Amino acid sequence: MTFISIEFLLFFAIIVFTYYLIQHRLRWILLLVASYVFYAILSIQFIPLLLASTAFTYFTGIIIEKQETKKQKKKVMLVGISVLLFFLGWFKYFNFVNDSLRAIAKYMDWNYTVPYQEIVLPLAISFYTFQAVSYLVDIYYGKQRAERHYGYFSIFFAFFPQLVAGPIERAKKLLSQFKVEHSFNYENINYGMKRIAWGFFKKTLIADRLAPIVSSVFDSPNPTGSQIVLATILFSIQLFADFSACSDIAIGCARMLGINLTENFKQPHFAVSISDFWNRWHITLSTWLRDYVFIPLCKGKKKRSEIYLAILITFLVSGIWHGAAWNFVLWGLIHGIYRVFGDYTKHFRGKIASFIRLDRSPVLHKWVKISITFLLVCFSRVFFRSDSVTHAFENAQLFLTLSSWRPSGMIKALEIYSLLDLVIFMFFFIIVQIFQYIERRNTSTWKSLSQRLIFTRFAFYIFIILSVLIFGVSGKGFVYGGF
Amino acid sequence: MEFIREPISHFSKRSTVLKGFAMGRLFIKLTIIIIVVLLLFMPVNNFVKQSHDYNINHEILAFKKHPYPVNIINLGASHSMYGYYFKPTGLSHLDLALPAQTIQYDFKLLKEYGKYLKSDGVVIVSISQITFANSEAKHIGNYYKVLDRTEIEPFRLIDYYRYLYLPGTNSGSFNSALSGKLKNFKWNSHQPWANNGRNYSERKYEKVEAQYREAVENNNSERNMKQLKEIVNYCSEKGYRVILTMEPVHQSYKEYFNEEVMNRLVFQHLKALKLDVPFLNYMNDQRFADNKNYFIDPDHLNREGRKMFSWIVYRDLKKLGYL
Repeated sequence: MTFISIEFLLFFAIIVFTYYLIQHRLRWILLLVASYVFYAILSIQFIPLLLASTAFTYFTGIIIEKQETKKQKKKVMLVGISVLLFFLGWFKYFNFVNDSLRAIAKYMDWNYTVPYQEIVLPLAISFYTFQAVSYLVDIYYGKQRAERHYGYFSIFFAFFPQLVAGPIERAKKLLSQFKVEHSFNYENINYGMKRIAWGFFKKTLIADRLAPIVSSVFDSPNPTGSQIVLATILFSIQLFADFSACSDIAIGCARMLGINLTENFKQPHFAVSISDFWNRWHITLSTWLRDYVFIPLCKGKKKRSEIYLAILITFLVSGIWHGAAWNFVLWGLIHGIYRVFGDYTKHFRGKIASFIRLDRSPVLHKWVKISITFLLVCFSRVFFRSDSVTHAFENAQLFLTLSSWRPSGMIKALEIYSLLDLVIFMFFFIIVQIFQYIERRNTSTWKSLSQRLIFTRFAFYIFIILSVLIFGVSGKGFVYGGF
Repeated sequence: MEFIREPISHFSKRSTVLKGFAMGRLFIKLTIIIIVVLLLFMPVNNFVKQSHDYNINHEILAFKKHPYPVNIINLGASHSMYGYYFKPTGLSHLDLALPAQTIQYDFKLLKEYGKYLKSDGVVIVSISQITFANSEAKHIGNYYKVLDRTEIEPFRLIDYYRYLYLPGTNSGSFNSALSGKLKNFKWNSHQPWANNGRNYSERKYEKVEAQYREAVENNNSERNMKQLKEIVNYCSEKGYRVILTMEPVHQSYKEYFNEEVMNRLVFQHLKALKLDVPFLNYMNDQRFADNKNYFIDPDHLNREGRKMFSWIVYRDLKKLGYL
């Protein structure tokens, strides 16, 4: 049962109906049971790990709080984080480290005998581990009180709308919302349904329509340069549609239960710089990394070089969090370099813009910056999407070859699509762009729609539902669900 | 205390009324939307239901309703489905081949419909480039009506009812139906005979190669080999006479699926099986290879080609003493 299924919609409808039918004091039980049932359906074998991690974090939080000195608190917090990261490391990174050590040993002609282990990655472990780490750190800093109600704490750990792929929430925001009684609110239900429908729209009409096209190029043994360029751009669109759809559905579901989750995206492909991109893409992860990796690393550091090193380390952590493979490490490193380079050359770039008088036409200047940022992001995604470092470098070379960008080659590359599929995709892609255009004008599209005639509104809702029903393709789950 | 209780109860009553009103409003809106969606969806659903691809199994279905003894049964994927038409020869024939059919489903269909084969009947097992590379049935819906539910793998109740009653919600079925209506709405280079069939053949080659790579990674080839052996053994157990065939293709197709490629994809596996059954390989048959008029596209025969090919097979079967 994934988000994109009739089963999930039925499951969720029953939860919402029961949620508003029962008394507030019983709701946490409903949400907890629903969360565990949802997780069990997806990955029953890792329920014990989820339960153990929940219990461990719960008691560690209380123990941290009970310590009298800051030093003792820190000690307990570090032990807690180490245990949580050990689980994550064991399941996610054991084979990565093992393979890397084996490769080094082979190169150095050493004897290395640790065998390859068949380890399955527990669903959502990266997401709930980060949530747990932030909880313990916040208790240590006194920003959060250790939760005593085991039920509420368990829901915070496993709240089903955001369990699989975020948004990564902080206890301060989420726990308190579970405790407040939410009465049936028409606006919440209405908004939640729209967000879910929009998530379905993006996932089934953009992301999953693009997925096989992108795969056909990246899995091909000898793609052309233009095909790599096109497939990488399409992959960027696919990844955004896929992940933002997952967040839309999570936010929509939570809203229908009266709970507000943090927005995870703000049209990242319209960012004007790499730092701006990270303020718009996977916002909850970016802020998590900022608060729990970057800021602690920068503590007491004043030199520019030290800050830059902290930036590079933060992005490396981001890369490793995404996937246990060297291409993800490189992807993180590339973004770190972008970020450092962007900061270092900020004034210089400003001078160039003013020298060529680009700053005199702010709109053009803005679009130049958007285009460059998008292309830089696309280049990094060659590493994100390739299935090995060797392929990543081959594909990156093709991406950077000038002849790959020849318009005739690009048009030819479009033929990886069937013409009918291309027309269908373009149609829905334009709809999404119109939607985003309205949002960029500082208006919520849903709000703007609610001011229209009832006929227009209903026509739009019917269009979304019909499009998903008829043209929607359901693929193999969410890309970030695999992290 | 009365003055306190009264406003509270008044407030709570009011809030209940408002809640009820909001729920009612939501219910009415949702009902309107659902009704309009259903009304608009119905013609789309009918469009898909009446499409050629959705009804691709209609001959098997018709046979299931009114079965009769047959002389020949052919199994296989689309090459076989477009390959045989024995009516002019006077033989009664059941075509059990369906597009992208895996050898597993060949066997399931044979077990289901083999009982209608006459005692001296022949089973044609068509071998194609994908026979050993196929992993899972892509068009599982094709079997919902022609096989028992227990034979469908994987079987999901929701998918089953959705396919039977709401095929319009299956984008694959809708796309096929739409493509069927817009046959010429293709890139010039995607037309079957563009570049004398080479573009089509190249695309097909890449697809089959990718499928084969996956099959090797997942050990599907061995599974398919085992299944082919089981079919042959089953036929000998039941007293059916079995023959392996490979249908003719156009010259352009052979350029990509040359001897080396075919050895890797098919013949090495076939040789390893050491089956004691005749294998009629028409892939290189020059009577077809140079003549586009016998083909819909480089690897599927058209009506004319089908008739001619069936006569050739008929004569060869006679020569072998199978008929």
